[in-house]
Amino acid sequence: MTLKRIALAACALALVAAPASARKTYSHQKYFEHYEGTKTCLKCHKKQARSFFHSQHYQWKATASNVVGAKDRKLGKINMINDFCTNPLPTWIGEWKNKDGKIVEEGCSKCHTGRGIVPAETISDEQLENIDCLICHASGYRRNIYEKEGGGYEWKPILWKNTVGLDSVSKRISLPTRTMCLRCHAGSGGGPNFKRGDLEYKQTECDADFDVHMAKDGNDMQCIDCHQGEDHKIAGPGADIAGNEMPDKNILCNNDDCHGNEPHEQKILNMHTRRVFCTACHIPVFAKDNPTNMVRDWSKGHYSEKKGKYTYTAKFEKDVTPVLRWWNGKTTIMQVAGEPVKKDEKGEIMVAVPVGSKDDPNSKIFAFKEYHAVMPVLKDRQWILPILTGDFYVTGDMDAAVKKATEKFYGIKDAQFEWAPTIHYMGLFHEVSPASKAVGCLGCHSSGSRIDWKALGYEGDPMMALLQKSH
Amino acid sequence: MRLTGKIATVIVAGLAVIAMTSMASAKDKKVDGRTLFREHCKVCHGPDSPNGEYTPMTLIQDQWEDFFDNNYVNTHKDVVDAKHGNKKVTDVITPEMLKKIKKFAVDHAADSEHPMTCG
Repeated sequence: MTLKRIALAACALALVAAPASARKTYSHQKYFEHYEGTKTCLKCHKKQARSFFHSQHYQWKATASNVVGAKDRKLGKINMINDFCTNPLPTWIGEWKNKDGKIVEEGCSKCHTGRGIVPAETISDEQLENIDCLICHASGYRRNIYEKEGGGYEWKPILWKNTVGLDSVSKRISLPTRTMCLRCHAGSGGGPNFKRGDLEYKQTECDADFDVHMAKDGNDMQCIDCHQGEDHKIAGPGADIAGNEMPDKNILCNNDDCHGNEPHEQKILNMHTRRVFCTACHIPVFAKDNPTNMVRDWSKGHYSEKKGKYTYTAKFEKDVTPVLRWWNGKTTIMQVAGEPVKKDEKGEIMVAVPVGSKDDPNSKIFAFKEYHAVMPVLKDRQWILPILTGDFYVTGDMDAAVKKATEKFYGIKDAQFEWAPTIHYMGLFHEVSPASKAVGCLGCHSSGSRIDWKALGYEGDPMMALLQKSH
Repeated sequence: MRLTGKIATVIVAGLAVIAMTSMASAKDKKVDGRTLFREHCKVCHGPDSPNGEYTPMTLIQDQWEDFFDNNYVNTHKDVVDAKHGNKKVTDVITPEMLKKIKKFAVDHAADSEHPMTCG
């Protein structure tokens, strides 16, 4: 008995003295000893890697069923030019350093799910080994850019010299968590909340007023609870992302699984849901924590002492009121590379404009972020052009940055270009406020209304018109 | 009179000591973990150091916890800090300072949300 007690005490002591990392076990603890890159994952998950190779998260393009005129083409950031960072290929990977030796750009592949090689059309072992499974599946996995021995750059775990640490992190395998998704999606466009406006790092741990769905102390929903997937295809591309790899699976709040078509207690509010989508009232403001980029003028470069690099002229805003537009699920996206741009009546290039109107029974009023930019366009053919952003950040020479990127991307030397304004509507679906913080009746139906009725196709507030008619 | 003068001197001296002590502790409070890491750790663990380069993101959080809780004293008790009068590292770094350094290392470890070098 005494011996047993001594033995138990000794065991307990050993446990306390053992390193914390040795005490923890993770989901993949028993499947491998040492992580040796993607090939370790491929030993068991070649099938999954093959499906991932074809996914939008790897290819950065997919069938664009919601884009007017896209037909069967696969579209995405890899073969389009957007009005934030333009196109990722000319600035794919590298180290662009300022005069003080500080890295000011590492390339757009920083948020690609590969380890640095550009995704190819055809599957190969090299491409499969390029997939960085851990970036979406291992909590605590972080990577950095490193020079390769044979030249060029690659993304590698920052723990590559620390076998014990890397072995621990690489075994923490799970479905993607909110934190993992936000690590890239909240930083898109070059910084925190620059691009989307409604996806912020704060959503990793926020309260219900900030985001009623993701609130840690509330519903605590993960991104994949709504953006459900199959074979690495993810549902719900929003309104301005061309590729839609699950066209039959729309994410709508009024699905029976979620809120249904009559979610309110008041009948008058339920009457609205026929033509007004939830976000129009339940996202009264966005960019609640980090200011979001509302205007980006690439034609007006300047040196920023704070950033230590040349940069575009921008306007950032916080607590922004969304604009409301009709949308029937289709989008006019005109930034397809190698095609003449199309402009609206104001002369702005329509980078992404929702299709819909009050006369279209399939349209509802949705909340959008209205973003404007100034982009280079090829003079004769009117093609929208990319910018070698890394070079521009270092040298400030925009003319060279556009010409170099155009040559790399289109094969056109010494491109003659002009500047043109763009318009880009981005659907807002996150940072949903609780009912108590939603827009009230007078928010829309009053003299100080937040709504631009003319933009929605009305002379004025249709409710006021009805009231005047009845009197 | 003489006695009163002595008492006054003692009081003034006492107040001065209290003021200096509180100033020093206020100063200590202002020094953050990052500054302490740079001041006391990087001096021997900078790039290309024969002692090994260590920044917060060299290790994962568990490894830092383990190091500070179980190995720091053993591995550093005989190390002297040339930058701080050749005193023993374990004497120069007070428990309060060590707590801040540990927090900085853990908060910015390789598997934290914000891995960092210490600049």
